[in-house]
Amino acid sequence: MTHGLTDAQFFEKVSSFLGPFYIALALMNGLAALYLWRSGQLKTWLKLAKGIEIPNAIVWLAVAMGFAILGAVAGGGMAESLSLPESFREAINKSTGPVIYSAGTTVILIILFFFREFFVRPAVAWTIWNLMWLFLGLSMTDRDFFEIVAKPDNVPIVMLVFLLAFFTWLGTSQAVINDRRKENGEPPMEKLDNEKVLVWPDLVYPELICMIALTAFLIFWAIALPAPLEEAASSVKTPNPSKAPWYFLGLQEMLVYYDPWMAGVVLPSLIVAGLMAIPYLDFNKAGNGYYTIKERMFSYSIFQFGFLEMWITLIVLGTLLRGPNWNFFGPYEHWDAHKVQALNNVNLSEFFWENMLGRSLPGTLALADISASLDPSNWPSWIAWLGGIADPFLQFFSLLFGRELPGTLLVLGYFIALPPLMALTVLRNFYKRMGFIRFMVMANLLLFMGSLPIKMLLRWIFDLKYLISIPEYFFNF
Amino acid sequence: MAEKKKMSVADILAAARKTDGGSAASEEPAQAESAQAESAAAPVENESAADASPKPTGTKSTGKAKPAKSASGGRLSVAEMMAMARGEKAGGTAEKPATKKPAAGKPKPAAKKTAAAKAAPAEPRDTASILAAARKSSKAGPMSKAEAAAKEKADPKAKAKPKIIVPPMPSKPAYAMPTPAAAKSKSKGAGQEERRDFLWVGFGALAAVTGIWSLASLKFLFPNVRREPPSKFKVGFPDAFPAGQVQTKFKAQYGVWVANAEYNGQAQIYALKSVCTHLGCTPSWLDAEQKYKCPCHGSGFYKDGINFEGPAPRPLERCAIRIADDGQIEVDKSRIFQEEMGQWEDPSCYIPV
Repeated sequence: MTHGLTDAQFFEKVSSFLGPFYIALALMNGLAALYLWRSGQLKTWLKLAKGIEIPNAIVWLAVAMGFAILGAVAGGGMAESLSLPESFREAINKSTGPVIYSAGTTVILIILFFFREFFVRPAVAWTIWNLMWLFLGLSMTDRDFFEIVAKPDNVPIVMLVFLLAFFTWLGTSQAVINDRRKENGEPPMEKLDNEKVLVWPDLVYPELICMIALTAFLIFWAIALPAPLEEAASSVKTPNPSKAPWYFLGLQEMLVYYDPWMAGVVLPSLIVAGLMAIPYLDFNKAGNGYYTIKERMFSYSIFQFGFLEMWITLIVLGTLLRGPNWNFFGPYEHWDAHKVQALNNVNLSEFFWENMLGRSLPGTLALADISASLDPSNWPSWIAWLGGIADPFLQFFSLLFGRELPGTLLVLGYFIALPPLMALTVLRNFYKRMGFIRFMVMANLLLFMGSLPIKMLLRWIFDLKYLISIPEYFFNF
Repeated sequence: MAEKKKMSVADILAAARKTDGGSAASEEPAQAESAQAESAAAPVENESAADASPKPTGTKSTGKAKPAKSASGGRLSVAEMMAMARGEKAGGTAEKPATKKPAAGKPKPAAKKTAAAKAAPAEPRDTASILAAARKSSKAGPMSKAEAAAKEKADPKAKAKPKIIVPPMPSKPAYAMPTPAAAKSKSKGAGQEERRDFLWVGFGALAAVTGIWSLASLKFLFPNVRREPPSKFKVGFPDAFPAGQVQTKFKAQYGVWVANAEYNGQAQIYALKSVCTHLGCTPSWLDAEQKYKCPCHGSGFYKDGINFEGPAPRPLERCAIRIADDGQIEVDKSRIFQEEMGQWEDPSCYIPV
């Protein structure tokens, strides 16, 4: 998109975007200040000497002024000066990788969760919101960042990050208020105003307005950011990088760690089946019709982990940070198709037999081998015919419990031994409430969900390719 | 006004008709007394006037009008009933006992309409408001749970289900009874049955045509086109493949790399299919890194096709290769050799150098 532009031309292009961008941010903060003032939510934040008090509206107004100045600077052709320091960008590029990214987002989400009472405060949330936009604006002057973020394909992902931040805040803040009310013995907020309203016009009319507004927005978007056209499709030429539609990028990231059969068929089906099973597994009647976190701690944390961590952050990773050859690129890094990244992966069986025991991999077993070890003359003639049928099975199971024994034991232990252990220890109450079958279904769904991050960790730490690897029969786990 | 449910338009009109018919039948002196009746003595037709002043359209209240109404069969049009209701209103208190009496005297009062009209203010009203007044028994629109509970408390009977009275089935009349003659003709198959049989000919023909058509459309699944390039093709003489080089120029057309490299310590010329063994994308040969790299999920393969990084579970596949009679190398993509199956030992998948 910015190929063939000189630096001056590039900054001119960025300026034309950043000027209105900062003005919009200034307007946003100005409106917030106006709202606080008109609705009488002024609070004194700073007390200067001589009794001069500075309320929150004034602070946001000052922020709006700041953004307006930034807008003037950026629009006035000095966008280059409004960028993050080169050393800082270099440090980010150097330090990021799939491991840091995934672990970092997990830690951030955990911090946000545990200190949610602090983070949902309007002033704190609004500050973070402003910082997010500011970060975007300051990063835009980086050529490589602009290239990725401003690509018409990727604009919805940037919107998704902001929208998701907003809606997560909205839901969490309601839940925090409700939880606080519950502690004081009050009913949740939603119970205060439970008057029913008419479908027409109270529901249908806003829906109509939304429909029209959304259509107008889509038309505007389609005109402003035309969908990119690529060269004609060819069965022998795959674009590099080759990316799935954005909503499947989480799956594509899963495919990096799993066999296609597993990550493309089994796990997606389990996601759908698991979501469908939730109403039958859920025994907690609380939280019906109102936001709450404390009353549904287990459901909330599991769902948010599955959605925010394992779906959304993987989409963001796949869209913005995966470049040519599916290598990881930092946000300010140039997408170099020849970036060398050594990822020498080993199967568990090779690791176990060759590295630990220092011997070659055990071979397969066939019926003829067994018969040869005994006296062959005693065997009737149909044994050869039987071998033709039984040998594939024999071979498969001899691989499964021979060469791949360590992995098989680990996987079987994970799925068979862990659920009873969980029922006896951490999830004892769940087992009592749910009964055997429901608990086992839930435990196995949970374990399948957990198998993805576990596999990612094993790949990152031990360069492990597959726990069970039987490529002869397309069976890899 | 102990209305249990809202009335439909039909209900209201039916009730009004019933009341009218009743009052017309009973000779009421009170009605004849009324002053308006005298003023409207002229034989005016019911249809004549619809303004608010008392007039003969108040059929009920006039002695004279009575015969006229009975002549028309005791039934009134909607317009007449509305006008009547208005006239009744204008009649005021004098009318009250008159309307009340027939209603009370009747075995089946159905006095909803009259009662509603009577209770309404004495001013002309339009059809909609009259109907609305008749229907209105409770607050319109949705109500809150609290309102619903209050209503239920105030009117506990409202919850009771109305009893459904099923009228007895009428017995079958004699002419509808099946006669032995009819039964006989049915079993025999008269002319009617033959005509019906002809339908099956039609259905059969339809099925036959549909079957032939669908068979014909099956042919469209196998068009007369060759979509794949020939699986056997020549790539040149062996000296065109110097040692240690991967030839990528056949990838675009045939989807193979032809390489001259070592495998297990033995120098060979072999053809690798350019399809990733993970999900079937097309990897690229990166000369700088000396590896095949897949752009979809990052699988990597050494020069000999052995997988070493990323999720690909097995090595790339080899195609059959041989020196043709003219000395050129011929690749046959229709025969595939997989390393994990031990098929690379097969001499037809490489040319020793």
